[in-house]
Order: sequence, then structure tokens, then C-alpha cells
Amino acid sequence: MAEPRTAPEESAREEGLAFLEPRVHAEGFPVAQVFGYAGSIILTFGSFFLVTRHLMPPVVLLAVILTLAVGQAALQLGVFMHIRESRGPAWQIVPLGLAFFIALGLIGMSVWIMMFKAGVS
Amino acid sequence: MALPGWMLYLIHTLFPANTRRPTELGADVLIIATGAILFYILIIKGRWRHVWTEWITTVDHKKIAVLYLIGALAMLFRAGVDALMLRTQLALPHQGLLSALEYDQLFTTHGTIMIFFMAMPFIFALFNAVIPLQIGSRDVAFPRLNAMSFWLFAFGALLLNMSFVVGGSPSAGWTAYPPLSENVFLPGVGQNYYLMSLLIAGIGTTMTGINFVVTILRMRAPGMTLMKLPLFAWSALMTSALIIFAFPPLTVALSMTLIDRLFQSSFFTLGHGGMPMMYVNLFWLFGHPEVYIVVLPAFGIFSEVVATFSSKRLFGYEVMVASLVSIMFLAYGTWVHHFFTMGAGPAVNAFFGLSTMLIAIPTGVKIFNWIFTMWGGRIRMTVAMLYQMAFIPTFVIGGATGIILATVPVDYQFHNTYFLVAHFHNVLIGGTLFGLLSGMYYWWPKMFGMKLDEHQGKWAFWLFFLGFWVTFFPQYLLGLEGMQRRMNTYPFGLGWHMLNVISTIGAFGMGAAFLVLVYNVVWSLRHGERDVTGDAWDGRTLEWAIPSPAPEYNFARIPVVNDRDPWWAMKESGATLANSLSASDIHAIELPKSTPVPFLLGASFFLFGFGMVFSWWYVAILGLLCVIGTLIYSGFNYEEHAMLSADAIRGTEASLGRLQA
Ligand code: HEM
Ligand SMILES: [Cu+2]
Repeated sequence: MAEPRTAPEESAREEGLAFLEPRVHAEGFPVAQVFGYAGSIILTFGSFFLVTRHLMPPVVLLAVILTLAVGQAALQLGVFMHIRESRGPAWQIVPLGLAFFIALGLIGMSVWIMMFKAGVS
Repeated sequence: MALPGWMLYLIHTLFPANTRRPTELGADVLIIATGAILFYILIIKGRWRHVWTEWITTVDHKKIAVLYLIGALAMLFRAGVDALMLRTQLALPHQGLLSALEYDQLFTTHGTIMIFFMAMPFIFALFNAVIPLQIGSRDVAFPRLNAMSFWLFAFGALLLNMSFVVGGSPSAGWTAYPPLSENVFLPGVGQNYYLMSLLIAGIGTTMTGINFVVTILRMRAPGMTLMKLPLFAWSALMTSALIIFAFPPLTVALSMTLIDRLFQSSFFTLGHGGMPMMYVNLFWLFGHPEVYIVVLPAFGIFSEVVATFSSKRLFGYEVMVASLVSIMFLAYGTWVHHFFTMGAGPAVNAFFGLSTMLIAIPTGVKIFNWIFTMWGGRIRMTVAMLYQMAFIPTFVIGGATGIILATVPVDYQFHNTYFLVAHFHNVLIGGTLFGLLSGMYYWWPKMFGMKLDEHQGKWAFWLFFLGFWVTFFPQYLLGLEGMQRRMNTYPFGLGWHMLNVISTIGAFGMGAAFLVLVYNVVWSLRHGERDVTGDAWDGRTLEWAIPSPAPEYNFARIPVVNDRDPWWAMKESGATLANSLSASDIHAIELPKSTPVPFLLGASFFLFGFGMVFSWWYVAILGLLCVIGTLIYSGFNYEEHAMLSADAIRGTEASLGRLQA
């Protein structure tokens, strides 16, 4: 074979790259985003308020702000991180799975490491 | 003559006593001189328009790479001078050259700058210069975000470097452990500088990580499956995966310290139920992945260099990929080895000691694969290859002393001695710095269109290599003799002095190496051998298939890949550079437009950071408003692309002799 292989039809390539095309809904107010933004602010300041005001016993407080945190994560992923969109293979699932795996591992191990403080400090 | 009160306040805040010492005044003179030269070039000679349109507003990954490289070399100089001052003090411990505070400030800025503002931007320089070309792409996935990353790095670096002459340097080490880093022990603005500059640069780094994951997963040329991805790109992918999950814990730890310092909370304070060790845990949650962030790219570079200069396919590609991936996972599970002596208990320490030793396995596999690649190859001893040859024994010894430190009972003896200092310089210089320099020599023709002079390069190499061993081998012995790190003086009669003097001589050898390197670069920019073929080293991967330096659009036609070493395969099948394209292959290309947004964003963050450092809230709020304003402006700017016409591309390619007649 004396010639290097040539590119496939230009159109086929364009199709392969279609995911790069921005999808802009030109008209229409971005309702979901605005509500998502407001929601995330409320969740953040809500937990801040609960912590600084000492309104609950510590155990209850922990449970409540953890719940708020899970809600926050779900909101970010759902509204801003395009978790529901995909054209072509769903590449985002791999890093997302990795993120959960690593995050849970790190948190679990940190709890284990920091349990020492009862005995030492 | 009495100055008005606000001026006195400004002078005392911006230039407190510890910024009026001889070293600082010397630095002031240097800064003013540099400023004057820049002013002359930009304003008097009228180059500012060119600099603005071609460099400051650019979103082209190749130009961003050059900017990163300039930043990294400048920071190597700054942190190198710090190192030489430290070493001079240790060779003459009783001359009172540096006080304890000055010594603390210098090792803090040395370590912080070397890691965050030398190694990281150097890595991003090579990622930007090479990855899109290697995977057959026209740019990174998010060009504007890429430029934002650069300007956040640049303004973060500016903020940290400014601390020396305005307000005072940080002095709690590059790790900045509380409670030392809290207000009680270190009032003043130094630690705020450290925190703000790393937070700002950290945003940029995280965005770069995301950018390169997306680029490598989604922008590869047709036919380039993940198992055909060049190893440098694989290492970039794994590095980015480490960045994305390692930087958040750092951001958390730094922000909490900042809130402690500025708003009197007590996350890490000694009183009020604070828990300083939690900072240590968070910091090393980031810190250990960070050391792999800086070394994996070097592994990738060596994998390319060794194959090219052995004129042989890389040995054991699949195993190399597997070991990169397993190192990425293991790197997240070893962080406690930095604080065994905290005393978390035998179970925790044993677990993390073993997990640390486990990393030696994939690393060892890689070492053997590099050696087997050279085995039976036709080896060309270029400068890039010399660094590779030096890297193997140096890194093996650094790794072996790492295993010694991972043995928990032994670490209780060696922790924070010069044994540790020698170990981490062994891997950081022998691994990271040698790797980055190797990559710089290797890809220089692709970035700038000419080779760096090999003869001068070899001088710099030998000075670096010998200087390195003369500096750091005595430090292993010093560690065994019990010398602690971070001490500015020591009594005679402990047998430490001679070893320290030798170490300092070696350090000046490395200083000389840096000067030769700079001479090498400057000389070669003027007289270096031009690379007219685009394939300066008889390379194997796609970046060598296009002209040097690559045209704005990289590939006039996106190549189709059906081999692991695509360019080598094309050459084997008789392709030459001249016959590759015919006029009808070329179509118009859409390219991202230059924009001032990234620069303005960086400047706004700088203003915000400066306000935070001095607790000048109005300045900080103004900076934050500028950040938001820039982002809104950027969001509503829909004209971010321009078309480059097919005829313009044909013209460029024809002038490069690449178009079939
Ligand atoms: C030119 C060669 C170099 C010399 C002569 C040198 C010298 C030194 C010295 C004297 C110290 C202080 C030791 C102490 O008192 O505890 C130090 C610390 C350090 N160096 Fe280097 N160094 C060099 C290159 C590098 C490079 C290339 C890196 C990283 C990429 C690096 C990273 C560090 C770090 C992280 C610290 C610890 C700072 C701290 O204790 O907070 N150094 N170095
Ligand atoms: Cu580590």
C-alpha cells in the first residue's frame, strides 16, 4: 500500500463530531437553571445557618446537613452537569462511577484514620 | 514632614519591616529593572498590540503552551535562587546570613513554587503543546476554558511571588500545617498569600484536568481507539483523573484555614474544639495524588522518548497502560505515609505502609519495560535520551528510599530528617524535572520550529546530573546522622558541616546547569538548526506528521489512525510529507476566536485575592463583582468562532510544501 489511508467521507466525520455542536435553545427562559441556582443557594445557606445557630443537637444536625448535601449533589448533577443528556456513548458514567468510588473510599478511610483522636490528642 | 494617616497605614501594611531587609530590597531592584525592560519593549517599542492580540487574548493551545513554558522556567529560576540561598546558609551556618524567619520563608516559597508554579505549569505546557497533536485534534475540548486556566495560574503565581516584597512571605512550609499557620502563631498576611494564590491557581488546575479528560476521551482522530492512544496521552488522562479528584480536598483544607484566619472560625485551631490533624489528613489526601500528578507525565514523556530514540516500538504497551491505571488508583490509597508519626494506630499505619509498597510493583514494571524497549534498539544518545538514561537509576534509588520510608518503624526514625529531603528531591528532580526537561528537548522543535543545540544541552545535562548527586547524596547521610529538615543552623561538632558544604557545592552545580540551559535556549532561538521536515527525530506519533511549528489549525485534514504508532506506519508504507494532501482534501475550518475574557477573569481574581489577603473587603468585593461581570459577558458572547477559508489553508499548506502539485 503506497498511499496513506485517506479520511472517510467528510460527512461521516461531521456526524461523528456532532456531539460537539452546542445545543442552544435560543428562545425560552432557562427556568430549570434559575430554579436550580436558587435551590443550590438555599441548600448552602440553609446548612450554614443550621450550623452557626446551634439549633439542634449535634447528631441530628449532622444527619440533617448530610441530607442537604446529598440533595445538593443531586441538584448539581441533574440541573447543571448534563447528567441526563447524551448523544452517543454515555462517557460521563465512567468518571461519575469513579468519582463515587473514590469519594466513598476517601471518606471511609478518613473516618477510620481520624478515629484515633480519642486516644491521642 | 508628616504623612497623612492613610499613607502611613498603607506603607506599614504593604511594606512592613520584614520586607525591608537587604534580600527584599535586592528583589525590589530586580523587579523594577524587569518592569522597566517590559515597559520599554511594550510601550516605547510599541509591541503591546502584538503581545495583546497574539498572546494575551489567544485561545490557541500551542500558544498557551509557550506561555506556560515561560512561566514555568521563570518560576524555576525564582525557586532555584531560593534553594541556593538556603544552601548557602547551611554551608555557613554561623555567619548569620539568614535568620530563622528568613530561612522559613525561603523554604516555604521554594517548595510551594517548585510544586505548584514550576512543575504543574511545566506539565501543562507539554500537555498543551503535544496532546491535541498526538491525538489528531484541532484543539482541546474547551479552548477558552484552557486560556482561563492559564491566566488563573499566572495571576496566582503573581500573587504568591508578590508576597516577598509586599506584605511579607508565608513561612509555614509548603504544607502549611495548622496550628502554626493559624493567626495565633503567624499573624500578618503571609499565610493569606499562600492560601489565596493556591486557591486561585487551583481553580485553573482543576479546569485543566477536566479539559484534558474530555479532550482525550472525545477528540481523538477516527480510528484511534483507547488502546492505540500514545502513552503520553494515557499519562495525561491518568494525571487529569488524579487532578479532578485530588484538588477538591486541597481546596477544602485551604478554604477552611482561610476562614479560620479571616473570620475567626476554629476548624483547625487548638482551642474551641478545632482539629489540626484533620487539616493534615485533608492536605495529604491531595498531597499524595499530587506527587503522582507531577510524576505520571514524566513517565509518559519517557515512554515516547525511549521508543523514538531506540527506533523501536514501545515494549509491553498494554502492561504500561495497565500499570498507569493501577498507579492512578493506588495513588489515592497511600496518603497516611506522610504522617505515620501522628500515631493513628498500628492497623492504620500497617495498612498504609503496605499500600505504599504496593505502588512499587507497577512502577517496577514500567522501569523494566523501558529497559526492554532499549534492548536491541538502535539507540541515539540525544539530550532527551540522556535525561531518560539518567532518570532510570535516579528514580529507582528514589523509589527504593521511598520504600524504606514506608516501613513504619523506620519512618519513626527518619521522619522529617534530611533523609526525607534527599528522598523527595530524588524523585522530584530525578523523575519530574528530568522528565520535563527531556520532554522540553524532545518537543522543542515541534513547539518552536528549531532544535535546541545538542552540544550545549549535553553540558547542561551533565551539570544537572552530577550536581544533583553531589547535592543530595550527602543529604541521605545527614539524615542518618540525625539532621532535621527546615533548620537554619546547627552546632559544629556533630559531623554535619562537611556534608553540608559538599551538598551546597552540588547545588551551585545545578545553578550553573540552569544558566547553561538558559544560554542553550537563547542561543538556539537565534542560531538553532531549523526543523524544516516537521519530523525532527524520525518520530512515531501523529505530532511529527505535521509541520513544525504546527499551523494554527494543526491538521489540514484530520488523519485516520489504524496503528499504535500511526506516523511510523505511514512512513513504513511509503508516505512522505510532500505527497500527503491534495487540494480537494482541504475544507474550511472553524476555529475559536481570541478573547480578552480569560485575561480579565484572571485579573479580577487577582484583585479579589489581593483584597482577601489584606482583609480589604471593598477591594475583595469589587474583584468578585469583576469576576461575575466577566463571566456574564463571556456567557452572552455568542460569536466565539470564525471560519478559516479553504483557500487560506491551501495557501499555508502549499507554502509548507505539503500540497500535491
Ligand atoms: C536546584 C535544585 C534544588 C535544590 C538545591 C533544592 C534545595 C532545597 C532545600 C535546601 C530545601 C530546604 C530543606 C530544609 O531546610 O528542610 C528544599 C525543600 C524543598 N524542595 Fe527543593 N531543591 C531543589 C529543587 C527542587 C525541585 C525541582 C522541587 C520540586 C519539583 C523541590 C521541592 C522541594 C520541596 C517540596 C521542599 C520542602 C519545602 C518545605 O519544607 O516546606 N525542590 N529544597
Ligand atoms: Cu506520598
